[in-house]
Amino acid sequence: MKNCRIGVYICMCGTNIAKIVDVEAVANFVSGLPNVVLARTYKYMCSNPGQEMITQDIKENQLNRVVVAACSPNMHERTFRSALRSAGLNQYLFEMANIREQCSWVHKDTKEATEKAMALVYSAICRVELHEELESMSVNMCPNTLVVGGGIAGMTAALELADAGNSVHLVEKNNHLGGNLARVDLTAPYLYSARDLLTERLTRIMNHKQVHVYLESKVTDLTGYIGNFKATIQLLNGKPAEEKKSVEVEIGNVVVCTGYKEFDASRIVHYGYGKLPNVITSFELEKMIRAGCIETKEGKIPRYVAIIHCVGSRSQEFHTYCSRVCCMTALKYASEIKSANPACYISDIYIDMHAFGKGHEDFYRQSSEAKTLFLMYEKDDRPVIHKASPKDDCEMLIEVNEKLSGETIEIPADLVILMVGMEAREDSHEIARIVNISQDKDGWFIESHPKLEPVATTTDGIFIAGTCVAPKDIPDSVAQARAAAARILARIAKGKIEVDALYSEVNEEMCSGCRFCNQLCPFSAIEFNEEKKQSYIISALCKGCGVCVAACPSSAIKGRHFTDHQILAQVDGLFCEIGM
Amino acid sequence: MAIRVNPRFIDVVARFGAEDVQLCYHCGDCSTVCPHADEVFKFPRKSMRSLQMGLEQKIETTLEPWLCYYCGQCSEQCPREADPGETMMSLRRWLISRYDFTGIARQFFKSRIIEVLAVLLTALLTGIFLLYYGFSGGNIHIYDGEGAFLPSHFIHKFDLSLGLLLAIFLVVNALHMWYLTMVKGTTFTVPWWLYFKQLYQLPWHFFTQKRYSECESKRKHPFFMPWFIHLGLMLGYVTMLVLVMVFVEQLQSGPAIRWSVHIFGYLASIGLITGTIYFIRNRVKKNYVQYKKSHGTDWVFVILLFLIVLTGIAQHVFHRTGLYEWANITYVIHLMCVVPWLLRMPFSKWAHIIYRPLAMYFAAIYIDALARQEVVVHSFPVFIK
Repeated sequence: MKNCRIGVYICMCGTNIAKIVDVEAVANFVSGLPNVVLARTYKYMCSNPGQEMITQDIKENQLNRVVVAACSPNMHERTFRSALRSAGLNQYLFEMANIREQCSWVHKDTKEATEKAMALVYSAICRVELHEELESMSVNMCPNTLVVGGGIAGMTAALELADAGNSVHLVEKNNHLGGNLARVDLTAPYLYSARDLLTERLTRIMNHKQVHVYLESKVTDLTGYIGNFKATIQLLNGKPAEEKKSVEVEIGNVVVCTGYKEFDASRIVHYGYGKLPNVITSFELEKMIRAGCIETKEGKIPRYVAIIHCVGSRSQEFHTYCSRVCCMTALKYASEIKSANPACYISDIYIDMHAFGKGHEDFYRQSSEAKTLFLMYEKDDRPVIHKASPKDDCEMLIEVNEKLSGETIEIPADLVILMVGMEAREDSHEIARIVNISQDKDGWFIESHPKLEPVATTTDGIFIAGTCVAPKDIPDSVAQARAAAARILARIAKGKIEVDALYSEVNEEMCSGCRFCNQLCPFSAIEFNEEKKQSYIISALCKGCGVCVAACPSSAIKGRHFTDHQILAQVDGLFCEIGM
Repeated sequence: MAIRVNPRFIDVVARFGAEDVQLCYHCGDCSTVCPHADEVFKFPRKSMRSLQMGLEQKIETTLEPWLCYYCGQCSEQCPREADPGETMMSLRRWLISRYDFTGIARQFFKSRIIEVLAVLLTALLTGIFLLYYGFSGGNIHIYDGEGAFLPSHFIHKFDLSLGLLLAIFLVVNALHMWYLTMVKGTTFTVPWWLYFKQLYQLPWHFFTQKRYSECESKRKHPFFMPWFIHLGLMLGYVTMLVLVMVFVEQLQSGPAIRWSVHIFGYLASIGLITGTIYFIRNRVKKNYVQYKKSHGTDWVFVILLFLIVLTGIAQHVFHRTGLYEWANITYVIHLMCVVPWLLRMPFSKWAHIIYRPLAMYFAAIYIDALARQEVVVHSFPVFIK
């Protein structure tokens, strides 16, 4: 390539690289190559003086290409690109050679490692010569948001967005808002009333000018891309399909907060749920507590209550995960039952007591102080509930292999509460398909990154929050809802959204309209133009993964910044004979 | 066979002092610091667990509470302040009431008022009886010999009949303990001859309290004082009991001091007075963890014993100094303390003088039998399919 003026920078990374790779030898080798104007070594290229050195050189030596041989581009590509930008050079005229993770960290022999480093740097130089100036694109951001699900997470996200002055469409399947929280009496561990938590939100939402609530409705379709979605909301109202009214709304982002459903306790035969009348689920107990009377089916006040944990959770047969809220909820029941009837004896039959949250361990201790009998059973060695004989003073007997004592014991019980775990809703795959997000093996929606992107998904503009992602408690659901709202508000505030320049393009002259790429695209970014009989890529949706580029039988698709020429030049460079 | 849980049991034992056992979350720190816990007897954790779970059948057959001498290290270590040491103490109290076939012990432990009333009533009846006896035949101005207010041969018979009553209660309760721990609580049959083989354990532990001295073995700075004083108190007590039961006539004769008998009385008194003062002081000052929580029965125990020793010494001094009226009066008061004390023995903490060495003896037999059991099992070839 003519008129290339390349600057090469070789980082020592303290001693991380310099200990194995002879960086001076690499610099010497590089400086003799055509188009290379200068080659420098430095202790830490990523440091401020290192970056300034690059900026300075670009200006003084009129460099128009930069190669940095250092760590992984995952680590510092952004750093060096910004150095290029600040020197007025297009950030894509840059390439990184990874001589740390791919070289110095994995080799022991200095000579061989140095040779490999040279090859890596040389291939980067070959590639950078073919780089083109690319500009990122920006699209308009519609300030309206669609929130799917009217539980605590959905309501929180909706209010957060609406309070900032944006229009929100809140879609709820049921005829009331509140979700699963509306079925609960008190919350653990501080025993706040769930009603109090909800009422304030409910009244605000119902009176909020910016929130449009769609009860008994469903999202049936979503088209478009980030900032420019169109959603179809259908009113259910129990009418036949053809009569159902549907509304189309324009939105910029979507928050999915569809929540969970409880595990069906009758799937575990040991517990006799559905057969023994006084074996109930946690939600049935909540109903009793809300009605103000904890009693057996026969109308008697129970003297012995047993609470069984992990019903459906933490087992190979049903769900392997922990449902996170049941332990504290069980302690809450112990406390509620004890305060309603202090003479009642409560046994709490658990596998492990998970008391990880704020205030949870104290709550556990309080429960111990109140003489809740904690009994530990082995995973997959479930307690068995029998009907007691008439001469016993209780309704049922629970047989447990108690782990802490090593004894097989029988506990009397008049009422047994099964702490049913959380599971993904059976219709979650529907919404996943409509908004184009993925689900894991248990049906929970998958986040873009489990640690760093917990509310974003792989589809731009679609956020997930609350218990549709994984089991979690109220504070976590609320935090996620607010996080999703904050992410969306930041985008709305910008007005436009920057799309990375690394998307693919269809060369219209070469496209035969075979539509292979349409089905392959994992981001649904390729659509078909019926008039032209050609495919086109929505650049805002494209992530530049390159699947279509590889698949296109006519080589009509070009991956920007990953063109065939660039990749082949890089490969050639790598296999070039290098003499030391 | 599943053991039936008694959820109310924890509340029952709470009346005996175990008020914090529900806090335990079974980290096992207590058993780690305990110098006595071993492979066979895994107290205090195991006992704590059985108590929490209300395994009454398990606890009534266990020897574990008796193997603990309450050094208090477990309670110092406990991260949950569940007080394992006090729990073991409470279990001992409960076991005393369990072994007791009359049900009196249970009443004493459960209600301080009943206990104090019973002590006062017995004291009052004793006082009335002794005064009636004294005035009907004796002279308040004469202490010993002809016409004495409380003649020594009468006291001797009085003591022996009390002793007999006491022995009956104790033997029956001890047999009950044996039945519970060695028959009901043992899953295998114990060879009869082991009872002879291990017999030496009984006097050994009775007279040395060796295990108590080992209580401090895991500490950086062992503190042997409680053991030493406790041993002195116990030996003093036993010596005095023998003197009173066998040699009371020589003891009471005077005015010359009979050194062959009296020297033992003096030594025993030193042991008793030092011991009672030491333990009362500790209970008042709550110096060590084991004295932090005093059950009502603990106070009755030390205070009554202290009064006995004090009045015993006083009547001896009055007798030797010729103040016979005073000697007789203090003697009546002394006996008013002694009778309720002795009658209370089988139903109170005092009974541990018998149960403890018996427990050591049974534990040794149990361990021996268990080891044999394992040998027998292994001597047969086991085919694994």
